[in-house]
Amino acid sequence: MFIIKKISNLATVIFGVLLLTFLLIHLVPGDPVDVMLGESASTADRVQLREDLGLNQPLIQQFGSYLRKLSVGDFGYSIQTKTPIIELIKMRYPATLKLAFLSLIIGLSIGIPLGIYAALKAGKWQDLVVTLVSVRLSAMPAFWLGPMLMLIFAVWLGWLPVSGMESKASIVLPALTLGFGLSAILTRMTRTSLLEVLNDDYIRTARAKGISEPNVIIRHALRAALLPIITIVGLQMGGLLAGTVITETIFSWDGIGRLLVESIEKRDYPVTQACVLVVALSYVLVNLFTDVLYRLADPRVKFAS
Amino acid sequence: MLGTACTQHHQSDHHEIVFAVAQAPLNLDPRYATDAASERINRLIYQSLVDFDVHSKPIASLATWLEVNPKQYRFTLNKPRALFHNQTALNANDVKATYDSLAALKDSPHTAEFANIQQIDVLNSDTLVFRLKWPDKHFPAKLIIGILPADLLAKHQDFTHQPVGNGALKFVSWQNKLMLQRVKDGQKISVLEVKDPTVRVLKLLHGEVDLLQGELPPELVKYLQTQSEIKLKSSVGANFSYLGLNMQDQFLKKLKVRQAIAHAIDRNAIITKVMVANTRIASAILPPEHYTNDASLPPYDYNPALAKQLLKEAGVSLPLKLVYKTSTDAQRLRFATIMQAQMQPAGIDLEIRSLDWGTFFSDIKQGNFQLYGLTWVGIKTPDIYLKALGSNSNPPNGFNRGRYTDSALDSLIANENWPAVTMRIHQQLPYIPLWYEGQFAVMVKGINNYLPKFDGNWDDLATIRTYAH
Repeated sequence: MFIIKKISNLATVIFGVLLLTFLLIHLVPGDPVDVMLGESASTADRVQLREDLGLNQPLIQQFGSYLRKLSVGDFGYSIQTKTPIIELIKMRYPATLKLAFLSLIIGLSIGIPLGIYAALKAGKWQDLVVTLVSVRLSAMPAFWLGPMLMLIFAVWLGWLPVSGMESKASIVLPALTLGFGLSAILTRMTRTSLLEVLNDDYIRTARAKGISEPNVIIRHALRAALLPIITIVGLQMGGLLAGTVITETIFSWDGIGRLLVESIEKRDYPVTQACVLVVALSYVLVNLFTDVLYRLADPRVKFAS
Repeated sequence: MLGTACTQHHQSDHHEIVFAVAQAPLNLDPRYATDAASERINRLIYQSLVDFDVHSKPIASLATWLEVNPKQYRFTLNKPRALFHNQTALNANDVKATYDSLAALKDSPHTAEFANIQQIDVLNSDTLVFRLKWPDKHFPAKLIIGILPADLLAKHQDFTHQPVGNGALKFVSWQNKLMLQRVKDGQKISVLEVKDPTVRVLKLLHGEVDLLQGELPPELVKYLQTQSEIKLKSSVGANFSYLGLNMQDQFLKKLKVRQAIAHAIDRNAIITKVMVANTRIASAILPPEHYTNDASLPPYDYNPALAKQLLKEAGVSLPLKLVYKTSTDAQRLRFATIMQAQMQPAGIDLEIRSLDWGTFFSDIKQGNFQLYGLTWVGIKTPDIYLKALGSNSNPPNGFNRGRYTDSALDSLIANENWPAVTMRIHQQLPYIPLWYEGQFAVMVKGINNYLPKFDGNWDDLATIRTYAH
């Protein structure tokens, strides 16, 4: 029941996003007819193409026609490249998914253990070192960290390709760039969250019952500390699935974020609309998944009807 | 960061030459392509009826022509000529089919250029006649669209993604990179988009890329010149950079204000400090070597005192506040910032507005600007004067974005008195000429037979060679 309610809410959100994007695109300066025909076309040709594309119709009719096509999976064609947009999405979105998941795995596998370690060593020099490293990492923008990683691992050491998507190893550096940033956030969040629960009565009780320290940390403390971490992971994952434009650009990674920005620059409106739809869907699905995880992590959590 | 970079150079697999570009081609159908990368690649995949010599005079490529009368041109295809990449022979029917299909398209940016064609008659497999609706002396110079095979046009081939031409390079595939193969010897050449200039340089140093052309900031070019594994080739350029002015603006419509702006920019300093080698000061839209150009036009020298004086004579209260619109391109912003500083002693307070390309260009076309900076790329024919500055060429009828009206210039253009046209523009300053940016290519040492061309084309990919080193 909860999932059904959530999904119906998501449909409303998606409709809102579609409507808003459609309206905003028509407010931005620039015109697809200008993009297609250039500056030398005659007024008659412009009027004709505008009519052919249905751009002379009232906005509400255009939106209705757009929704009708969308309902049968017709995203239309790119104005610039004449490619079916569904093909572009099929090509670009898996690349973003791959990069997002690998970055998440890197972020989780570095951030959570380091956060636990820092919490257990709270106030000691180890905690200070971990905090310093995580603050440093979170302060490094991708446009600086990315080229530095390229310089070290590709140019100096020659272990990995600089950028591109030609080999399987190409994903490592962009995933590290994103994963390091994510791990820094997760380290700090895990440390703070764990420190809060480590002083709670039930942890003291668990220890008093003779449960081993790793069990106390993993089964009791970490589970309770997971809720804020899940929130952060959900938000970050939404961002990753929306495409990380800077990282994708630096590493020539053909993902959805880059496609979106390029389509905005070139006023390729059908592509922009399709990308926004995919990004919005990603966000709401990740949110839904986060809500489900919340409930699994803490059965006491109830959802408002 | 790059100061310590090139410690290891990995020789790339020279079965394939990798050419990294800032912007990949968007469309390989010559009837649709408008971006520079697509046009440069399409020159290699297809052949056109006409090309240009070093003075930008139209010359025969696939065909020679005869002006039967000002409304009729007869073209005869040269022999021997290369087969299409699908091994069919190119004949006059293919030429007719290409231009007929172009005329029928409703969404092509090139269709309007050929609205003058009334009919194309094929006389035999080698000869055809273009009949025009109205006389056009420059008509042959417009026939630079790549010729497509008639049989594939009839089958509605997707030339955008599966191009078939009869040029030096044939299409192989287009996934993350565009793969081409030289017809003559099978040499594979790939075109790879790498947006970030630093990353392009790192890839060159790492051996993932063999060749770069242009689109690098001068500091990276200077750095590359110090690398033993890299060589640089340069040449003068012909692409004209300028400041566009809104001639309907209350200040800019005054000639003395335009002259003041021209004298308030130290082009020499900009070229020396922040531009690549072989950049030349510009005095006219078309470069000195163009057959229409009067090479004796003197550039406007930097003289802030004179500029200030001119502003006072124009009755302008100082400082004169002007808004300069530009794109978000880093190099463009750098130029804008330098010009802002240079104009200050002349009494001009320049406000820079950096806009995303779509918004910027939309504003320019609508005349929503005071000053803007742009470059004309690949201009060959003198009809640019009519299109860019003719009184009846305001958008959407042309590119007269500054809404300049000058009946004297109109009649000089109509009479094709090109030296007088360039002189008039030079005196009236509807554009403030800046420079023709130098062209350069950087490549690994094993690359030979590649030189950058004055208009930035990539024609030498047809002859480029790679040797193990």
